[in-house]
Amino acid sequence: MLAAFGLPALAFDLGALATLLAERRSAETRFTEERTVSGLDGPLRSSGTLSFSAPDRFARHTLEPRAESMVVEGNTVSIRRGGRTRQMALDAVPELTALIAAVRGTLTGDVAALRQHFRVQVAGTAASWTMTLVPRDDRLAAQVRELQIVGQRGELRTLELSLAGGDRSLMIIEPLPPLPPAPGDAPRTGTAAPR
Amino acid sequence: MTSSPLPPRRRVAVLLCWLALVLAAGWQISRTTFSADLSAFLPSDPDPQQRLLIEQLGSGVPARTLLIGIDGADAQVRAEASRALAAKMRDSGLFEQVHNGERSDWADVGAWLVEHRYQLSPAVDAQRFTAAGLRDAIEETLSLLGTPAGHLLKPLLERDPTGETQRIAESLIPSNAPRSEAGVWASRQGARALLVASTRAAGSDLDAQAAAQALVREAFAAVAPAGLALQLSGAPVFAVDSRAQIESEVRWLAVAGSLLVSALLLLAFASLPALGAALLPVATGVLAGITAVSLGFGGVHGITLGFGTTLIGEAVDYAIYFLIQSRKAGWRAWLQSSWPTVRLGLLTSMCGFGALIFSGFPGLAQLGLFTVSGLLGAALATRFVMPVLLPEGSRGQGLRRQLGRLGQAAVDALPRLRWPLLALGVAAAGLLAARGDLWHAELGSLSPISAEALALDASLRADLSAGDARSLVVVQAADIEGTLQRAEAAAARLEPLIDSGAIGGWDSVTRFLPSLARQRERLSHLPPAAPLRAALAEATREGPLRAARLEPFVAEVQRAREQSPITLESLQGTALAPLVDALLLQRDDGSWVALLPLQPIAGDRIDSAAVSQALRGLPGTQLLEIGRALAELYARYLGEAQVQALLGALGVVAVMALALRSWRRLLAVCQPLLLAVLLTMGTLALLQVQLGILHLVGLLLVVAVGSNYALFFDMLQRDGHADPDTLASLLLANLTTVLSFGLIAMSAIPALSAIGRVVAPGALLALLLSAAFAPRPAAVP
Repeated sequence: MLAAFGLPALAFDLGALATLLAERRSAETRFTEERTVSGLDGPLRSSGTLSFSAPDRFARHTLEPRAESMVVEGNTVSIRRGGRTRQMALDAVPELTALIAAVRGTLTGDVAALRQHFRVQVAGTAASWTMTLVPRDDRLAAQVRELQIVGQRGELRTLELSLAGGDRSLMIIEPLPPLPPAPGDAPRTGTAAPR
Repeated sequence: MTSSPLPPRRRVAVLLCWLALVLAAGWQISRTTFSADLSAFLPSDPDPQQRLLIEQLGSGVPARTLLIGIDGADAQVRAEASRALAAKMRDSGLFEQVHNGERSDWADVGAWLVEHRYQLSPAVDAQRFTAAGLRDAIEETLSLLGTPAGHLLKPLLERDPTGETQRIAESLIPSNAPRSEAGVWASRQGARALLVASTRAAGSDLDAQAAAQALVREAFAAVAPAGLALQLSGAPVFAVDSRAQIESEVRWLAVAGSLLVSALLLLAFASLPALGAALLPVATGVLAGITAVSLGFGGVHGITLGFGTTLIGEAVDYAIYFLIQSRKAGWRAWLQSSWPTVRLGLLTSMCGFGALIFSGFPGLAQLGLFTVSGLLGAALATRFVMPVLLPEGSRGQGLRRQLGRLGQAAVDALPRLRWPLLALGVAAAGLLAARGDLWHAELGSLSPISAEALALDASLRADLSAGDARSLVVVQAADIEGTLQRAEAAAARLEPLIDSGAIGGWDSVTRFLPSLARQRERLSHLPPAAPLRAALAEATREGPLRAARLEPFVAEVQRAREQSPITLESLQGTALAPLVDALLLQRDDGSWVALLPLQPIAGDRIDSAAVSQALRGLPGTQLLEIGRALAELYARYLGEAQVQALLGALGVVAVMALALRSWRRLLAVCQPLLLAVLLTMGTLALLQVQLGILHLVGLLLVVAVGSNYALFFDMLQRDGHADPDTLASLLLANLTTVLSFGLIAMSAIPALSAIGRVVAPGALLALLLSAAFAPRPAAVP
């Protein structure tokens, strides 16, 4: 931090972060999530994969402990839980719109989308930065206090969500290890290779 | 001037008779209801599928759903106006439902759903409350906790750890909801807030619909700041506007038609008494037509009435024939020489239109009955009343001499054009044969809705996405329980179609009102407290949620076991009643119908083949696609009308054959008629006009009117010479017909303009061709 103050020319801000983030056109990562919920005896853990491809496709596949998925593409959200699929229009639910804007905005470096729904703060350096998003909309603020994203250069490392009631979720994101590719899964290893 | 007038007593008797009939007709008409909806163009004897369609069009939700847009200003201002307008509309009591995307819409419903969750949740089955079932359900609930999606779930966790409320709520999420902006529905395309409202009144009750629309406009004017504009659309708006338009058009056409024909008659006769006398059979005919339809159908459709103005042009012909032709030798001579020809023409016309009376479609049948009785009334008035009023025809000269000379010149010149005309006819026939898709048009072509209004409607519908219910599964049974059970069976078949992408979602009344059998079955799976506690203990072992926290759940399950079933009666007066009423209807015969509207996947269409396939074998269950059903209906309607028109034309020929008793004369009379029809159709085909039912009716009229001309030329040939008076009367009669149909051709109502555009040129052609193909007089002096 001190170094950043000493060298104003290299100050790291949202604009610089957006440039870094926008370089990635697609990503395929693993996540492990730990949720702390008041009234429960222990944390809730889950894991799965996150994938993104520009401009607007984002998918979260939870593999453990239960298979679930949420796929957002354009304005359509498909949620699959317990063997049932539900589709809905993203912009019909403003809270969801904002949350997805946070994720997609971060992944694509879309500053305008982030600022439209959140007050955005960036701290740190390009090598290790933290971005904090606080909802502007009252209704979302009643559910989500803030969103904190930690990353290194163009890659996201953790995503921490603080809910209004005090519950928290910490998601740790790792690039997909070069697993032996499943049949027909070749492109995925292709994009993960340059790591 | 040789004929003696009728004795005074006979004259008084005739006039009194006529007056009594006119008064009786007037009385009947004063009690007649006039309609302007699409009902006249729906079959009167529908098959089951059509019956569903008619119910939906008449009283279904689409028929009473208003689509409302608020344009202008910024999102916040629009949202406030939307909330204020919705509040006013809800307070008015005229609307069953008013939706604008406000969340409070669901506040009451939410509490009710929680209370009745064990009767309503589709997840409640024999496995649900076993240790394994509970473990699975609790795991699923936990998977949402600690995420934003879990914030509604968490307060209920101890009462509903298995997530039944979540499960019910999930099924209610529409796949295709409008965009939400500033807390209300908004357009995806532009600056517009959106509302949907369904009226309590049936779609067919146009007065109530007009009142509801007036209320919306007034409420908007009261609450909206300057700069906002109201957009109103939907089937009820079209229906009310159409009625207003038909009323004003009919009035305008009647006035303009009468003035035009009167002016022409004044020019021709230069005599006011002649004008009055000529209009008398017309008025009599129109009265007779309306009265007959009113008696036969119990009401008159506005389009039929509009058609009445075309009758002016035709019925006045009889008067013209009388006024001009009886001048030469008085009415007795006219009765002997010309009346048989007029009578034959009347018979052929009646024959042509009589075929339509047997149409299965009330609109067409009304048209047929109206014309037949109108022509009969006009002809009888000419035959019996005119000789009393003007026994020696019209004394006035006016332009008659000129008309006669013009007629004579035409009769001399036209036959030289026979071959070119025949060649044109053959060419037209070839063109028609080459164009296979001549007959095409949609039922919508009958309705007077403007293109702008349709565009507004389409844009509002696109914004509201799910709001229009054009595809629905219809389930019926004798009683309510049977209907609900069948609806549940249908829903079970629809559910997998969401996964396969054939549909985006479905709605059903059974989400709020399951069948009693299903409710009982669900409650029967709820265990008593002791075994439930034991299963819970096992299910939560090693999990983060302790069973001890779930005592409220155990208590609520016990309470639910004693719950009385949800019935239609118990839902009356609740916030859910409007939803239930929209999806579950009782018919007049006591049977019940449940509607399951289907939602497409966003940006896609419903795969109706897959839906029909999935529903196969379910009793009393059908897929109804309103758009397609209407198109099929119209195709059937068109096919039927074509057969009837053909029969009518054959009837015309048969009557003429019987009367003329000569193949040669019959051929001479039919030839110009056939050519007139061919040339008219050929011209329309050249102009790329798609022919619909009303063009067909127009062609029938061309044959009916044209047969009169052809028969007169046949008569002239028999008499040995073409006398200028008869020619003048033919020319004048033709002019009035062409002008009054030309007027109709300019109408903004497609149904009327279609007829006008066929008959105006067709009638002119029929006269010219009759002159051209008239046999040469046998003995030219």
